[in-house]
Amino acid sequence: MKQILSSIWIPIVIGIGTLTLSSCKPKYKTPETSAGEINTTRFVMIGGSHTAGYMDDALYYDGQQYSIANMLSMQLQKVGAGAFNQPYMPTGSVGVSGSGMSRFKLGYKTDCLGVTSLSPVRLASSGDVAALGANVYTAGQPFGNFGIPGMTVTAVNVSSYGMANPFFGRMNSSASTSVLTDATASDPTCFALFLGIEDMLPYVQSGAKNGSMTNTAVFSMAYEQIVLLLTSNGAKGVVSLIPDITEMPYFTTIPYNGLNLTPDKVTALNGIYNPIGISFQEGPNGFLIQDPGAGAFNTRKMVAGELVLLSTPLDSVKCNSMGSLFPFRNEFVLTLPELAAIRSQIAEYNAVITTIAQNYNLALAKPNELINKLQTGIVYNGITLSAKFVSGGAFSLDGIHFNPRGNAIITNEFIRVLNAKYNAKIPAVNAVNYPSVTFP
Amino acid sequence: MQKLVLLFCSFLAVNALYSQGFQVNFQGQKQQGMGLAGTALSEDASALFYNPGGVAFVKKSEINAGFSPIFANTLFVDSASGEGYRTKSPMGTPFSVYALFGFKKLESLKLGLAVYTPFGSTIQYEDAWIGRFALTKLSLKSVYIQPTVSYKINEHFGFGAGFIISTGAVDLQKDIPVQSADGTYGHAELTGKALGFGYNLGLTAKINEHFSLGLTYRSKVEMKVKEGDAKFTVPESLSANFPSGPFTSSLPLPSVLTLGASYDTGKKWQFVLDINYVGWKAYDTLAFDYESNTASLADTKSARRYKNILAFRGGANFKATEMIAVRLGGGYGFSPVQSGYVTPESPDGNRIYGTAGLGFKFNEHFNLDLSFYYTYIKRTDRNLESNLSGTFTTIAISPGIGLSYKW
Repeated sequence: MKQILSSIWIPIVIGIGTLTLSSCKPKYKTPETSAGEINTTRFVMIGGSHTAGYMDDALYYDGQQYSIANMLSMQLQKVGAGAFNQPYMPTGSVGVSGSGMSRFKLGYKTDCLGVTSLSPVRLASSGDVAALGANVYTAGQPFGNFGIPGMTVTAVNVSSYGMANPFFGRMNSSASTSVLTDATASDPTCFALFLGIEDMLPYVQSGAKNGSMTNTAVFSMAYEQIVLLLTSNGAKGVVSLIPDITEMPYFTTIPYNGLNLTPDKVTALNGIYNPIGISFQEGPNGFLIQDPGAGAFNTRKMVAGELVLLSTPLDSVKCNSMGSLFPFRNEFVLTLPELAAIRSQIAEYNAVITTIAQNYNLALAKPNELINKLQTGIVYNGITLSAKFVSGGAFSLDGIHFNPRGNAIITNEFIRVLNAKYNAKIPAVNAVNYPSVTFP
Repeated sequence: MQKLVLLFCSFLAVNALYSQGFQVNFQGQKQQGMGLAGTALSEDASALFYNPGGVAFVKKSEINAGFSPIFANTLFVDSASGEGYRTKSPMGTPFSVYALFGFKKLESLKLGLAVYTPFGSTIQYEDAWIGRFALTKLSLKSVYIQPTVSYKINEHFGFGAGFIISTGAVDLQKDIPVQSADGTYGHAELTGKALGFGYNLGLTAKINEHFSLGLTYRSKVEMKVKEGDAKFTVPESLSANFPSGPFTSSLPLPSVLTLGASYDTGKKWQFVLDINYVGWKAYDTLAFDYESNTASLADTKSARRYKNILAFRGGANFKATEMIAVRLGGGYGFSPVQSGYVTPESPDGNRIYGTAGLGFKFNEHFNLDLSFYYTYIKRTDRNLESNLSGTFTTIAISPGIGLSYKW
């Protein structure tokens, strides 16, 4: 009897024990990765503020860590890319904006009506201008991230550009060099270009008031020159289309008809404006704006489709009748004709970039499609991301630049097209691991 | 003037709840050895679960208790990044207790009470996993309490019926994608007790001394959470957006229709076969209704769209000696989860499993049964709601032990 018992028990106990120990956890195998036809040895990225890791209206250390260029290089390192150097700001720095301000954080602000609410506030009264003046270039350690805030396509190949733009001045190898010279000095074997936004951003951000947009023919020539030089040694790469920047929260947060009127206000405003043919009603109304084309008084109500910019002084709107009794100045709004000109310019730039991608057989990233989808929202691993200001989770507190998670999503678009074009298997970034806006 | 209001819509598209994977069929150690089949058997008190109609044919009064700890491990590999994440789920603890009483004066009638756990599981993912905003932990417990009457109509037919009172508890947790300055994310924990009612009907047909058939129907039980407790931990500036408070919800535990057959050679061998038809279609939507809603905290309705499924189970019992029985079995179940609806709370797929068991009959009164269960499930999907995309691989093992005393 005992014999029978043991003869059955032993194999069963061993069997169960073995199964328990060896097979009770599924095995993880690293999925196959491959650089495909890309030689990833030396990667550089050239672009503007979005490439630099500029966010919350400043260049600062954390933002640079989460730059599109850095994320892309980290993924390329999984398929053989070498070290990637960035011109970091000091770690504890409050950051510095193009106009010398510190970065934004989310804090509390009390408005003219005494209402306290969450709002972007500057981290310090002034930015880290000193860091902007200190060159961080080290010979033998060439930078890979040539994202320079404010750099237009036409500025990439300009000698002594560091004199004109301190964001390059702090990282150039010499005072006389150009961005393109420094970027190609280390013989990049693959590259990414995210250029063109800066060719229109200052103009658009000023309500189509200051400066102008780069002429398409000039844009085309400058862009092709950059690609010609980068590909001359056979480097493969990706160029990117330009998103419709008027779809960014800086332009879409304040509604054109945000003038909510009580009956008293309606009566008062109608008393003033009915004589020139403008009337108001209870509830939402289009803000009043100055428009030189709008009759004798250069004043009209905004119409659907027009945009109010985030630069608008909201306290003046709430307490001093800006946008009603005192019409918005040009710099705070984009009118339909202005928007049409901006959008057709973007389309022209994108046509140029598409043609260059074809002619030079490069991958073509389309972040514009992503940003378009963000208008209604996309769901990424259980997170709803949208282009809504602050709560949308994709843009930083300046409403123009992405936050780290938004950068991760854009980086994945670059990876997607690189994989498709060059038969590569570069793993995507896990955007869940990157921070979004943080709340007090 | 419209204020610069920060709206936090859709931060909390609650995804959740339990599901198929976690229909637990561990209600009798003997059946567990034989591929979880045994609807046509009428040998011991576990018939109270498997087939109340067979209860009338059980010859003795009996108390029977079994316990089958489940060790399940799931690996999720994200299809985009290739990163892998594991579960750290605690041991599952399904059990069953049966008490069956006969009457000398009324031999054709049997009364019984069954307490068992036909649904339930706890799945918990490792910290900071990629699906943390869909689910971090789900614990679902249900205990069925089933008083049962069974009547032997004649030597061939038995009919039985049980009334089911189901008590349960749910604990669902996920992170909310709002982050404090120190990097921690918001967290939601929904807990509640649930109650539901149902019934278990069975018919047994003893065709002859070798061959039996069983037909059972266990009804759907709608588990209602009437006063759940939703607790949100978020950065202070957002606490008004996520008010903790009561919620209501409900989830269906599906009906199971089973046709079973058994064949006994009369000497050493016994074979069983069951076909289940599980009414998972009842699990169409998972809804949470919060008592206080805000722009950030809307009531949610998540599509589940489960479909009814078939499962096939079979096994054999071999009487090695008068005292020892050896059992083997296996089965195949189709997944009720359609493509596009696989969620972290039920990383389910078609499953194949194998079982083995041993029975010891120490004397006329006392039996000991051991069983072992192993399953492997692999499912690749992109969830339509969360866009979580990748491959879930699950391995679950369960050693079981049961004791019974007959008189």
